[in-house]
Amino acid sequence: MNTITHFYYSPNEYESEKASNSYLMSLIAVIAGLPFPIINLIATFAFYLGNRKGTYFVRWHCTQALLSQFSLLLMNSVAFWWSISVLFGLENLSNSFIAYLITVFLFNLTEFVATIYSAINTRKGLHVKWWFYGDLTNMICSS
Amino acid sequence: MKNILLQLVLLVLLFFALWLGLSKIDWMELLNVNYLTSKTQQKLGELILDQIKNSGEENHDLKVTLPLDSLLTAICISNAIDRSQIQLHVIKSEEVNAFALPNHQLVIYSGLILETRNQAELSGVICHEIAHIELDHVMNKLIKEVGISVLISTTTGNSGSNLMVNILKTLSSTAYDRDLERDADIRAVDYLIRANIDPIPFARFLRRIPESKSAIDPHLTWLSTHPDAEERADYIIEFAGEAYGEYQPVLSPETWKNLQHQLK
Repeated sequence: MNTITHFYYSPNEYESEKASNSYLMSLIAVIAGLPFPIINLIATFAFYLGNRKGTYFVRWHCTQALLSQFSLLLMNSVAFWWSISVLFGLENLSNSFIAYLITVFLFNLTEFVATIYSAINTRKGLHVKWWFYGDLTNMICSS
Repeated sequence: MKNILLQLVLLVLLFFALWLGLSKIDWMELLNVNYLTSKTQQKLGELILDQIKNSGEENHDLKVTLPLDSLLTAICISNAIDRSQIQLHVIKSEEVNAFALPNHQLVIYSGLILETRNQAELSGVICHEIAHIELDHVMNKLIKEVGISVLISTTTGNSGSNLMVNILKTLSSTAYDRDLERDADIRAVDYLIRANIDPIPFARFLRRIPESKSAIDPHLTWLSTHPDAEERADYIIEFAGEAYGEYQPVLSPETWKNLQHQLK
């Protein structure tokens, strides 16, 4: 799912730290933002804005971290509002609801592990490219 | 670009396939959700009933409970409802009220029985409350108005008695949503017709005591908390008109008279 590839230049220590922080930011936001899924996106977006004029390596990883948060925001928002409906009796507790929560949890967990993995490796100056999000970032982020 | 779109489609497909696959597992059974819900309902029903008994004594007189039991049993048998699940409680009170509680409990105040002019009127009210029970309106209303976490905390003893009073107030003196009331009325007419009980007196009961009177008399709770009595009476008559049957009283006139006499 995540592949370590060579970036077209070797990032310096400062760039590696910044790029790694973009993943750390979304990690911290996941923990602090629960159960409000929008918090993760806002935190990652704020970090992205702060670094959009940074070097290519930093911008690239900030963008990848931000994009991954978008898809999570969608599924987490549905989970949040569905849970509220169940709690307030507007919807019944059902197998579909529990299955949805487990699915969302598994996707979040995968994203969480991938984020830690990326934070560690980008800190070492390695370029971690995620499946789908990596290609999307390549398309959006110009050198 | 094509490659990215393909990956996106695969990602979405993976999400939905996983969700669909996991939905096939009976989580409700696996996690004992239904058991826990019924346990919560049982406990909640007991706690609210205790609260009611604090304000009014329960009538255990067989001359009162047996005729009411006959009415309830006749309605249940005709409508394939498990009679043993419904617990009937008659409370000595001037208040004209009847309501359903969690755990299939039906509470009728003696004031309401005295206010009805015949057994068909009383049967209408009973059927209306059974409909709330059968359509699962009771817990849904409580969850909506009180919140499930608060309900669970009441059953685990982490709440004050004030909360229980509020829950009781919610169930006994606030009407359900307009749509739920209509559903319960229509279902009640259905129950009455199947039990060979004339539904028209139920409509008459709603119409007889206008809202102005219920506003003046604080004891007429059931009517004052069920608004639009006129409109309800209209659609009950309209719905009942479509299925005319030969109606027969469940109780003999003498038993009905004795029942009202006992409560006076």
